[in-house]
Amino acid sequence: MAYTFKKQIFGFMDLLRFKKLVPNRRAKLAEGSAKPLPVSYRVNETAKILHPGFQKAELTEILLNTPDTKTYVFKTKSPFYFRAGQYLTVGCKVGDSYVSRPYAISSAPKAALQNTVAVTVKKCGFFSGYLFDEAKQGDILTLGDPSGEFCYEPIKDSRQVVALAGGSGITPFYSMAQSIADGTSDFDLTILYGAKTEQDLIFRSELDALASDKIKVVYVLSDEKKDGFEHGFIGADLIQKYASGDFTVMMCGPQAMYAFADKELAKFHLPLRRIKKEANCVGVRDVADKKYKLTVHMGFTTQTVDASASETILTAMERAGINAPSKCRAGGCGFCHSRLVVGQFSIAGADKRRLADLKFGYIHPCCTYPDSDMEIVVPKA
Amino acid sequence: MKKYDAVVIGAGNGGLVAAIRLLQGGAKVLLVEKHNLPGGFATSFRRGRFEFEASLHELNDFGTKENAGDVRDLFDSLGVTDKIEWLQIPEAYRVIVKSENLDATMPFGVEEFIAKMESYVPGSKESMRKFFDMAEEVRLAQAYSSSVNGNTDSKVMVSKYGNFVRSGSYSVNEVLRVLKMPQRAIDILSAYWCYLGANLEDMSFVHYASMVNRYIRRGASMPKMRSHEISLAMVSRILELGGDVLFNTEAVRILQDEKDGGVAGVVLDDGTEIRTRHVVANCAPHLVFGKMMQKVSEQDVRATNARKFAGRGFTMFLGLDKTADELGIENHNYFLYDTSDSVRQYERMRTIEDNSVQATVCLNRAYPECSPKGTCMMYFTTLYMSDDWGNVKAEEYFKTKDTVANKMIDRFERDTGAKIRGSIEEISVATPMTYARYCGHPEGVIYGYESQYWDGLMPRLLMMGEDHTVRGLRFAGGYSMRLSGYSSAYFSGDISGRQTVGDIKREG
Repeated sequence: MAYTFKKQIFGFMDLLRFKKLVPNRRAKLAEGSAKPLPVSYRVNETAKILHPGFQKAELTEILLNTPDTKTYVFKTKSPFYFRAGQYLTVGCKVGDSYVSRPYAISSAPKAALQNTVAVTVKKCGFFSGYLFDEAKQGDILTLGDPSGEFCYEPIKDSRQVVALAGGSGITPFYSMAQSIADGTSDFDLTILYGAKTEQDLIFRSELDALASDKIKVVYVLSDEKKDGFEHGFIGADLIQKYASGDFTVMMCGPQAMYAFADKELAKFHLPLRRIKKEANCVGVRDVADKKYKLTVHMGFTTQTVDASASETILTAMERAGINAPSKCRAGGCGFCHSRLVVGQFSIAGADKRRLADLKFGYIHPCCTYPDSDMEIVVPKA
Repeated sequence: MKKYDAVVIGAGNGGLVAAIRLLQGGAKVLLVEKHNLPGGFATSFRRGRFEFEASLHELNDFGTKENAGDVRDLFDSLGVTDKIEWLQIPEAYRVIVKSENLDATMPFGVEEFIAKMESYVPGSKESMRKFFDMAEEVRLAQAYSSSVNGNTDSKVMVSKYGNFVRSGSYSVNEVLRVLKMPQRAIDILSAYWCYLGANLEDMSFVHYASMVNRYIRRGASMPKMRSHEISLAMVSRILELGGDVLFNTEAVRILQDEKDGGVAGVVLDDGTEIRTRHVVANCAPHLVFGKMMQKVSEQDVRATNARKFAGRGFTMFLGLDKTADELGIENHNYFLYDTSDSVRQYERMRTIEDNSVQATVCLNRAYPECSPKGTCMMYFTTLYMSDDWGNVKAEEYFKTKDTVANKMIDRFERDTGAKIRGSIEEISVATPMTYARYCGHPEGVIYGYESQYWDGLMPRLLMMGEDHTVRGLRFAGGYSMRLSGYSSAYFSGDISGRQTVGDIKREG
């Protein structure tokens, strides 16, 4: 026989109780406070400090570090925070184009809480050239959200971090060194810093001033032999000389440095979890130049612009004055996630998309070269 | 000016389903989402060579083609089931309460579950069978209620679903005691409570029974490509049906009709005004009434203020460079508690300092190929039952996050004997701040409004009609009538979507 549930002696009392559910809730809802609902919440306010999103900031200071490197200091309207090693995008309108580029933050996380942040940029391309030659104090630029995973991770990394820095790749490590010195981070940082000559070293005196039992900087010059400097490239012998036991390698520099370091590091048989590499922006593709049409749907508008086989479709959109979303420019962060309607394409480097993105036809324009005319749906920036 | 029959605000699980339902009902629909991806919590992210599932532990009540659950039926009628590759979760859960020497691994299937329980707790069989019979009646009663859009006939309810009505006003513990279920069996059966986020003295029996029954009876499923596959499948269906979808687009204001105060339009974050008389809001009433609408009735303010936020989320994701076998991770789904007394446990979950509860998943135990050969991945979730993360300043944030993450790793190693710390290749941690950032939820809440006794599933369903206070405005997602969780959110989108189709038709 089927079971009959009964809690009270008389089953109808259970029924009466059930009937009271509605009046009971009705009364509770009516008893709520009449004061206005909150407009924000503490957690959400902190989230805004950790992830301010795009913000306008005033360029307050430009420092010349080396003949081809400058540091740009910005004042933001609100305080924000980040992890040493992260990057943010700096962008503005150049001519008719919306352009932005990711740069590692060279200032300390603590400074951002005081509304100050700096990036250090080597003059080497279109936008860095613009910054170098045109940007001036008082300009208002757009800064992106602090992003990236190129950070010391206390839960998994060895306390001993060996940093391999090439040229302007020193910037994230300079931020890390400052954050160790001011007590924000706690780990041992040995920086092997490679440059062509002594005068190419950025932050030389600042790094020397930060040296401590936790921070050690070794300068490695490839084109000069000088006392007090290592000479050559950063290879296995140098790493061996300055690090032993268990260590985490973090590298930031040009692609050529990575190719060399990868070979050298193989000698240590380190597991993948012990090596971190900051990604570089996708550049031009070395193919015969070919012109394609790129049709872009954004919001309620559609436009068709020119694209070139040698450049990413993100660059094509920027050239055409479309304000397309972008952050890492290396295919990894997914911020430019867009839907492909039709077209052939190639991806620069490893495909870092999610599995379902491949299945349903989504692409990351920042690392996508056109191989035919293309039609895409791009979210607004 | 752009004109739509309905605008769906938020492409979370509820919003996606609502949009499909509206389109199937012939409406012209715009779906706007402030993030650049659909799904809300139903998404994934890449770190190194791993693709992590952001939130789904398993999809409840999906079942198989032969033994279809209600969610599969819903997905079938939405036309999305076959766009997704599904796999079955091998076993229900393992619960460990070390302090009480409790360690039980429970299977799917009602008979199997009852038999396994009997082996752990001799003499529990009869009460377990009653529980599942009652739970099935709950499911049937709910199906009836849904089929008549909540306008149930009380005669039908009492005659056909008597146990449902008689137990409908009681908490889980009140009912299980009447069933004379041995305490140990209650402890094992109720391991799942933290997925609903209210303690067992406060949580309504029908709510818990409904979920456990669906879970055990139909088994659970997972999309192969993480929940991102479901979310993109839904978007692809919306596009097939002619809907418009805008990402990176936040609806900042709902415009109101001068005369009746109902929906007149939606303003987007770039200032674009959309004309519509119908909105399905896949977000918290706190946000809609607190900042998106100008004229809100005192009744709505009071009703919203009266409600209590449910758990705020915290999840740690690990990519490990050894296999689950090598690390000693035996199961797919673990619950690790300090005590099986859910009231005491709930209290401990209020603060960052005291909370060390975790629901932990090793996805490779359900889908060995989910990560590269020689690796595995795990996610660890807990809930905070107060706004303690609101006390954490930005400058303490990263350290606080690491402290909790470390505690989770230690606890998992201690309770299960697995060794994972030395094999972490990738780690990512989501806190209430993360959930607040991506989904905009107040305080980083991931479970909507708490399923408190007075505001549980039954009274919400029974009051669906009178909770609809603003003409043209309906809610979907974890804050609405079906409460939180994947399947609940999908059902809420189904209900609100269909109701809005009805609203549109009535207007002619």
